Amino acid sequence: MNRARLLDLVGTLARLGLAAVWLISGWLKAVDPDQTYVAVRAYDVLPTVGVEVVAALLPWLELALGVLLVAGIGTRLVAVLSAVLLLAFVAGVTQAWARGLSIDCGCFGGGGAVEPGETTYVQELLRDAGFLVMAGWLIARPHTLFALDDRWGTRRRS
Amino acid sequence: MGGASRGEKRRKQEEADQRLAAAGIQRPQTPNRTPLYVVGGVLAVAVVVGLVLLFTRGTGGGVEPTYATSADGAVVTAGNGPIVVDVYEDYLCPVCERFEERYGEEMTTALNEGRITVRYHSIAILDELTTPPGYSTRAANAALCSVPAGIFPQYHGTLFEEQPAEGSAGLTDDQLVSFGTDLGAQGDFAECVRSGANTGAVQAATAEAIEDPALQNANGSFGTPTVLLDGQRVDLNDTEWLQKALG
Repeated sequence: MNRARLLDLVGTLARLGLAAVWLISGWLKAVDPDQTYVAVRAYDVLPTVGVEVVAALLPWLELALGVLLVAGIGTRLVAVLSAVLLLAFVAGVTQAWARGLSIDCGCFGGGGAVEPGETTYVQELLRDAGFLVMAGWLIARPHTLFALDDRWGTRRRS
Repeated sequence: MGGASRGEKRRKQEEADQRLAAAGIQRPQTPNRTPLYVVGGVLAVAVVVGLVLLFTRGTGGGVEPTYATSADGAVVTAGNGPIVVDVYEDYLCPVCERFEERYGEEMTTALNEGRITVRYHSIAILDELTTPPGYSTRAANAALCSVPAGIFPQYHGTLFEEQPAEGSAGLTDDQLVSFGTDLGAQGDFAECVRSGANTGAVQAATAEAIEDPALQNANGSFGTPTVLLDGQRVDLNDTEWLQKALG
């Protein structure tokens, strides 16, 4: 296997891995909108209307990113959007931690207040960092296997 | 397969490009914007789906309550319909706020029409989640004070609309009093709120609820909101539970 092929393979695993993250987390949020609202509210950042809108849109945006990654459409752009969303999550968890809130991130369903001492901010941030690495790889090298991008590629003027 | 021949075609084209590049000739390329449009389209669909679901979901309030209420200990009995709904709520509990937001209007309508009786159990299990502790008990007490004051349905709604965040200080006694005064509380409402007249009843009802096996969830613990329909625990994942009961 040559080097380019190996890098393609790594990129493909990153793409499908990140797709799985978004599809699972989006689905778990979409099926329980009340819990998602409670999770978003617990970050104590947005006014009520903002919580409503974020809780309503977030699950579907995550699912959309997941679908686009599975198909491999606009991989670099979708990876950039994924990274932006992940950085927003990191910011949310970090501010909660810094302010001494006791919440579950609600990253994969659940969420809301937890007992002080039952927070898992370090694990949550490390997990997000792992996902950011996958997004970063795809931003740096978006070419992967089995991607629709491949099919469209770059159209030549001829 | 189309894909294979297409791949073959592209490979040949790339080889041709490489030969041209070796000769110092660059073929102009235009980026294909199709993926960009597809990404934009899929994200737009996601936003529309989210907003449609947001606006079609039930919202609390809007229906004026016309039913009567009475208090016994920490239990407020509302309406006199044949179907009995028991609701165990903590006024600090965010999921209880969601419960009221989602089902408040449905329940008010059914109460007004005399189709259900609702027994609101004023429970305080989240006292430790405010600084200083104790907001759950103070709010539960104030809700019970609002019954003789003649404003329970509206006051109960206000406590959830104005629900403080977990981890905050909670609403002050002054705020709890002024919400009631604004709603036209009669009698010695303020005194009742400030003295914590129902604190003992709330604590007793809370201890009883925690011990009651009929109220425990799958983990064997008691949480809020817990809802019973004619004595049977309701699965709130089924958002049609009340409509089904009403037939």
